[in-house]
Amino acid sequence: MRYDRILEELLNRDDFLVVGRSVVRTDALDKVLGRAKFTADYVPRDTAVVKVVRSPHPHALIEGINIEPALELPGVQTVLIAADVPGENQIGYALPDQPFLNDVKTRFVGDPVALVVAADKGSAVEGADAVRVKYSPLPSVLDTTDALRDGAPLVHEGGNVALTTKIRKGSIEEGFSEAEVVIEDLYDTPYQDHMYMEPEAAYAIPEGSGKVTVIGGMQSPFLVREKVAHILGWDLNQVRIIQALTGGAFGGKDDMGPLVCAKAALAAVKTGKPASLIFDREESVAYSNKRFPARIKYKSGADKEGRITAIDVDITLECGAFANRAPFWLWRQTAHAAGPYEVHNASVDGRAVYTNKVFGGSFRGFGDVALHFAAESQVDRLAGELGMDPVELRLRNILKPGSRTTCDQLLDHSVGIEECLTKVAEASRWSSQKRKRNGSRVTGFGVGCAYHGISTSRSTPDWSAASLILNQDGSMTYRTGICELGQGAPIGHAKIVAEIIGAPMESIRIEVPDTDSTPNAKPTHGSRGLMLGGTAAADAAIKLRERMVRVAADMLGCPEGEVDLRDGKASKKGEPGETIRFPELAEELYNRGVSPASYGFYASPKRYFDPETGLGVNYSVYTFAASVVEVEVDTETGVCEVVKVWPAMDVGKAIDPLVIEGQIHGAVSQGIGFTIMEHLKLKDGVVLTPGFKDYVVPSALDTPEYAPTIIVEEPYQHSAFGAKGVGEPAIISVVPAITNAIYDAVGVRLNMLPATAEMLHAAMRRGAR
Amino acid sequence: MMVDFVLNGRAVSCDAPANILLLDLLRSELGVLSVKRGCEQGECGACTVLLGGRPVNSCMILAARVEGRSVTTIEGLRDEPIMVALRKAFMEGGAVQCGFCTPGMLISAYALLRDNPSPTPHEAKTAIEGNICRCTGYALPLEAILKAAEMTPAE
Repeated sequence: MRYDRILEELLNRDDFLVVGRSVVRTDALDKVLGRAKFTADYVPRDTAVVKVVRSPHPHALIEGINIEPALELPGVQTVLIAADVPGENQIGYALPDQPFLNDVKTRFVGDPVALVVAADKGSAVEGADAVRVKYSPLPSVLDTTDALRDGAPLVHEGGNVALTTKIRKGSIEEGFSEAEVVIEDLYDTPYQDHMYMEPEAAYAIPEGSGKVTVIGGMQSPFLVREKVAHILGWDLNQVRIIQALTGGAFGGKDDMGPLVCAKAALAAVKTGKPASLIFDREESVAYSNKRFPARIKYKSGADKEGRITAIDVDITLECGAFANRAPFWLWRQTAHAAGPYEVHNASVDGRAVYTNKVFGGSFRGFGDVALHFAAESQVDRLAGELGMDPVELRLRNILKPGSRTTCDQLLDHSVGIEECLTKVAEASRWSSQKRKRNGSRVTGFGVGCAYHGISTSRSTPDWSAASLILNQDGSMTYRTGICELGQGAPIGHAKIVAEIIGAPMESIRIEVPDTDSTPNAKPTHGSRGLMLGGTAAADAAIKLRERMVRVAADMLGCPEGEVDLRDGKASKKGEPGETIRFPELAEELYNRGVSPASYGFYASPKRYFDPETGLGVNYSVYTFAASVVEVEVDTETGVCEVVKVWPAMDVGKAIDPLVIEGQIHGAVSQGIGFTIMEHLKLKDGVVLTPGFKDYVVPSALDTPEYAPTIIVEEPYQHSAFGAKGVGEPAIISVVPAITNAIYDAVGVRLNMLPATAEMLHAAMRRGAR
Repeated sequence: MMVDFVLNGRAVSCDAPANILLLDLLRSELGVLSVKRGCEQGECGACTVLLGGRPVNSCMILAARVEGRSVTTIEGLRDEPIMVALRKAFMEGGAVQCGFCTPGMLISAYALLRDNPSPTPHEAKTAIEGNICRCTGYALPLEAILKAAEMTPAE
């Protein structure tokens, strides 16, 4: 491939211009000046407000909806119910199990029944209170054990099991017969709320007949467009979606973006006037998607040498009311079941189960957090039983180039976990770190490893697109549908473009994603934003570069191979004297009729997968991570503090080391929250902790000391500069590292998260050393 | 109800409903959009402003209470040397991700450095304890605050 050849040439550069260096983000200035515009900042003062009327019951039949009392209130403009949905009243992501507005029955506390559109927030709230919905409550199922009982009430007509997964590899009977030690246990992980700082928001503007524009927070403008069009019964080109700067997402807004934007769009289209829907914090925590809870039964064995001989894993995923992303989440857990180790004998079964609770959905780490919590606890316990160092046991099983995954996928390159683990053990002086007691406080150390498949699973094709225009003044306009959510992926794209074209970063403007003008880059999820989106950017840049080089060569009177593009200038290699500045070069392209616009498109290589056995090339490549954690546990109070974290990650190629560090710190912080702090409490399906006060996330006071991030670079052959996604893996490895450190400190294993002070205190009383 | 107060050094007079929050007065009536609504529960700090020079959550203050007082948002600190140093340190130090909490956090950090030009790491943590950030994990913002303290010229 020509692309590969050019990329190889660029990779062999000994002096990268911007790739690999930390640069000031091009969006930082607006953000520190308070000028960055989020969705709510676009909404004019007198815009109509949408309020969702929600079911107060976990499970109930709807006997009737009387909207008249609401319509009589001053300020209420209209009330919309299922019958008002012009398109299809169905907004399920993977399965058609999620009505947009319910008119038959409701399946969780918060299930939407109607939309009140009013002149202001106060009237909208009053209107929502005035809508009379007659419910006939049904018996509900509030945990997966109940849901799986014979004769359990059915959340959906087809049964409470939404789907199942399976992998069979080798023979676990043989494997366990070779084992010296076998450990079996249950691991429970809870809901986690994203707690992005910006609550869900959408602002919809009707544009004459048959067109609507929606500005909102989201992760995939094209998915939002599809869902809005579907609800309205319109063609895709009648819906224009603009992604406003999004104040944190972490997966959550991939699911919530469509749900919120479609409601605002329906209100705007029905009233013919702009409408906004902005969740308050309580709504966001009580009714928006959460990390799916899981219960994992994990059995594993190891021989005398510490080789893992077999795993037998059984995963029960709690969907809540709708499957949403469960098919992809559960599969990810199933496929990654062994952790980043080579295990020849594996049996893995998964089932996703409906309950009458708030629905689960996308969240950083996507299933791999729960799975690695179980897998990495087991690995530590096998080491403990064998009297072996946990790092040593890991190294004896670790994936290397040439290893095969649980899905029997051959990993032929870009496998840097051994180096991550070795280096992080060295940096943390693992072998000489000892548990220490100081009064009631005990210090312990733990390690965790992780791997995380990038982009789509099961060889499903994945592709991305981008566009780049060289303007007449030499500046560049870059467009991608990959969203800026805080993680900086589009800025990474711009760096890739800057590197390939030799353009200064400040000359590249990243436009706001807009489905009317932005190429479809597919979603900003699955750690694909930089890897897939950035490779499409590279494709666009390479195409434009070739044209720029051709024209420059002619102007300079030298062969194309001798043209160097850098600092916004073209010159002959080794003769920097004669230069053509980009404005001049751009003008020449226009005058000669050489296209200054470039469309980049990249599709991942074709792969093979057998859905019957679950074996084949599952994810195109994996990012690997290892963490060592030091904790201090107060044995009197149960309070656990994460004191220091040593992170390591194989990122393929670091496009921006400082951005990677920021991603890792943020992920570790969410991991600390998930493991020891964040506790979403529910009673009878009602979320009892709908705010920062009760659902406590890490504050600055909970910040550990961070050792410098160890960046391992094992480039991936099919991405721009070899980069792999980095946003997710750090949260995966840190969770078991913390619980393993707690065990090291106080000899207690909490298999049910979160390990809050109360839980830890109670567990220590039951039996600690 | 008329509210007269000083916003970013300029006298303003605003006709507003009696029960309006300072947050809404600033955003809806006066168009100050740097003040973000993150929770309206007084818990997240995204709406932090200076009231009489002290950082407060503007979602917890009725607009009527600022009558005759001075309110400062990040716009009003634009040219303050401490804020200039903080902005530079945040930008160069990777302390900005999504940016939603950034104005509020910068206000808290400004108040810290104004009163305590050489804070300890723990004092920096305490100063922004009320500004929740879900993106950065705080380490780089905290480093940036300490860096800004070094950069700010002594008076």
